[in-house]
Amino acid sequence: MKYDLVVIGAGPAGMSAAIKAASHGATVAIVDENPAAGGKLLGQLYKEPKTGWWIGREVAKSLEEKVKRLGIDYFPENEVWAIFPQWKVLLNHGEELHTDYILLATGAAEKAIPVPGWTIPGVMSIGAAQVLNNFHRVNPGKRIAIIGIDALSLTVANELKLSGAQVIGIYLPPPDDFLDRISNPQQMIAYLSSLADAAPNHFLKFAGKVTQNEFIQKVSAAFYPYRGMKIWGIPLFLRKSILEIEGDKQAEQIKIAKISRDGLPEMESVKTIQVDCVCISGGLYPLSELASAAGCEFAYINELGGHIPLHSQEMETTQTGIFVAGNITGIEGAKIAMAQGELAGTVVSDRLGLLKSGTAIIKKAQARVEKARENALIKFQPDIEKGRELAVQFWDERT
Amino acid sequence: MSDKIICRCEEVLLSEIVEAMKTGAQTEKELKLKTRAGMGICQGRTCRPLLEQIISFYTNKKIPQASNLTFSIPVRPLSLSALAHTGKDYKNEN
Ligand SMILES: Cc1cc2nc3c(=O)[nH]c(=O)nc-3n(C[C@H](O)[C@H](O)[C@H](O)COP(=O)(O)OP(=O)(O)OC[C@H]3O[C@@H](n4cnc5c(N)ncnc54)[C@H](O)[C@@H]3O)c2cc1C
Repeated sequence: MKYDLVVIGAGPAGMSAAIKAASHGATVAIVDENPAAGGKLLGQLYKEPKTGWWIGREVAKSLEEKVKRLGIDYFPENEVWAIFPQWKVLLNHGEELHTDYILLATGAAEKAIPVPGWTIPGVMSIGAAQVLNNFHRVNPGKRIAIIGIDALSLTVANELKLSGAQVIGIYLPPPDDFLDRISNPQQMIAYLSSLADAAPNHFLKFAGKVTQNEFIQKVSAAFYPYRGMKIWGIPLFLRKSILEIEGDKQAEQIKIAKISRDGLPEMESVKTIQVDCVCISGGLYPLSELASAAGCEFAYINELGGHIPLHSQEMETTQTGIFVAGNITGIEGAKIAMAQGELAGTVVSDRLGLLKSGTAIIKKAQARVEKARENALIKFQPDIEKGRELAVQFWDERT
Repeated sequence: MSDKIICRCEEVLLSEIVEAMKTGAQTEKELKLKTRAGMGICQGRTCRPLLEQIISFYTNKKIPQASNLTFSIPVRPLSLSALAHTGKDYKNEN
């Protein structure tokens, strides 16, 4: 089958791009491996101070309805396993889609934190717990411990608690030579305080406020109580680590230890606590395997979450006709992903000759991405602006 | 500190990776060939960022701009029957 545009990934970025291009008259296909459209939107549920409830599931539904209304060919439960030159997109059920333009909107994957016992059933990523809990409405466990302190783990902890699970605590990862930032109390506190201004929900805001005072930040790594502090009834332990998860067929208990102010476990303090679920939150990284297989050039930008395909301000990669939008370009929120998708959909429409004053329309779409960034409430990466600048710089240096 | 799995698909331990680095492996690719870390069905989707951090820490070098661990087609696990059903020969495509 031949299309003007093939979009890979039915998250907010992919669907927004498909809708944009189809509304300008392009023939569009969209492929996603999941049974339901929406990508990571499906798990998102929180109250924003200005705009009220953000219910990802409903945002996804309204995008999906537009996709259907515009006659876009949607291939759910299909994995793209290869892209061959100029361009053929191969799906695991045998379809072969031909096109001049591809949009990779494959989103992000979760980073792991290796802990002894992390492969035991009952241990899962924080994103899996979020989808189970908020989308499938199943508590991932009755007594849940969380490893890793960041915007996502704090938010999901609150959601788990609201839905009736007991979150026994949010802990630091085990101290590890190569994981320095996320297992060091002092750096953790500095990070948490950076959340306060932008926090989308009261829970996050509270966590940030508690640690925001500069003086407190400096001394709190030393004096922060081992017993932790409670945020809305959930203990947050900045001085305790989960050293090990134990269980025979299923996670049954965790070993925790106090952490000295320079990040070393105090072995005489080790205690065992019963749990039936452990969630690991290690952050997100752009999922770009298809861009790599298609031969796109990459840059490593830590501030954006990892390796990203180099791309122009019009979202085109180093491979002609292959575009990117959403979290594959760096970890940011859903609204930014949507704006990036619309930009990519607009550029492809222009390339197809469907727009009258293309340049002006593209400029507007670019401005909307910037606007979405300014208004962004959650920052998933501390220095995202610097990361964005680097991405532009790497692209310019190349051309 | 107790040992832990880094690559889940191939069950490669941190100690095995550190050992391989001591005996000369310095890149993700070399580690993959030596220990099978990243060689499983997920092609390193889970362990790749960990391997990057481990290598960067032990070699004291920045994570490279382009990963030297390339993704190979198929980028997702694919059953032979699915491939056979297409009735196509992809060997000359790339
Ligand atoms: C666990 C988690 C929680 C998050 N929580 C929030 C939040 O609360 N608020 C917020 O604003 N942002 C959140 N984010 C950030 C989130 O990624 C963005 O909000 C947004 O969903 C990114 O949109 P996207 O379209 O780029 O990717 P995604 O929404 O991730 O969609 C990508 C889609 O592509 C599919 N896909 C990937 N590869 C293939 C392939 N080869 N074949 C077929 N399909 C494929 C994926 O399965 C997925 O459905 C979260 C991210 C994660 C990972």
